[in-house]
Amino acid sequence: MKTFTPPNPGAFFLYRGAEMTPPVFFELKQSVVGIAGLGGLGSNVAMALTRLKTGTLILVDFDRVEADNLNRQNYFHDQIGRFKVDATMDNLRRIYPDAELEGHKVRLTPESIVKLFARADVIAECFDRADQKQMITETVLAKMPGKVIVSVSGLAGWGGSNEIVTRQVSDRLILIGDGVSGIGPGIPLTAPRVGVAAYHQANAIVEVLMHRKMSFAARSKS
Amino acid sequence: MNRTLTINGSEKTFADSQWPVSVADLLGKLQIDQATVVAEIDGQIVERNRFSETPLHHGQQIELIRFVGGG
Repeated sequence: MKTFTPPNPGAFFLYRGAEMTPPVFFELKQSVVGIAGLGGLGSNVAMALTRLKTGTLILVDFDRVEADNLNRQNYFHDQIGRFKVDATMDNLRRIYPDAELEGHKVRLTPESIVKLFARADVIAECFDRADQKQMITETVLAKMPGKVIVSVSGLAGWGGSNEIVTRQVSDRLILIGDGVSGIGPGIPLTAPRVGVAAYHQANAIVEVLMHRKMSFAARSKS
Repeated sequence: MNRTLTINGSEKTFADSQWPVSVADLLGKLQIDQATVVAEIDGQIVERNRFSETPLHHGQQIELIRFVGGG
């Protein structure tokens, strides 16, 4: 386990009035994270990053909450039918009313990805479909120089927590997942395993923002 | 003469008759769906719409990042 040494010890402080809450880091406060998709991955990544008071989250999803999303996505029964962007922003503001959030109810395309995430430091790929994951990963790597993308591939089913890994593919691409478990007949998406992947994703984003370099390269398996 | 490509860290040797003429051809030989893979050759991204027109050369390092559904 790594011990974290703040780059500037004076730059972090505790959340006002709450002694037991985690320290808030200057680097996170200055950061902008784009979250593409607010399903099982995105709704949970947004929660984790909000709890750390990450500067600004740009939240993008065109969809509404459905009853069968509740098995893994961070929504509540009384939010069925609402836009996921609106429901997520409400949930995050219940944690911190002053959370800085930007919401867009659009279906992302290569053009809108470049536009909406222009000021993001890191982009989280939180889509459901394999071809959409491909599309945003390719777009960020090919058309958004300097941006880091954290993508996910292989999280369906249950169990096998330790098969889900964080791997640095290049200096701009971090890939989370077991690489093989796609959704299919008899292979559902479940809250615990999607959650493991989502928290790997959030943790990788924090690591990128705190260090601005891939410090986990050395301990990445391959 | 045989030629090689390094695909995701593993060296693969092709006889001349089997040599993939393009990225698309390689993905076909590997039975990989073009819609779900990001391809990088010698550190450069090759966009999906150029898979068919991008030739391969002996000794190249190819990274194929494959996506499966779920999120």
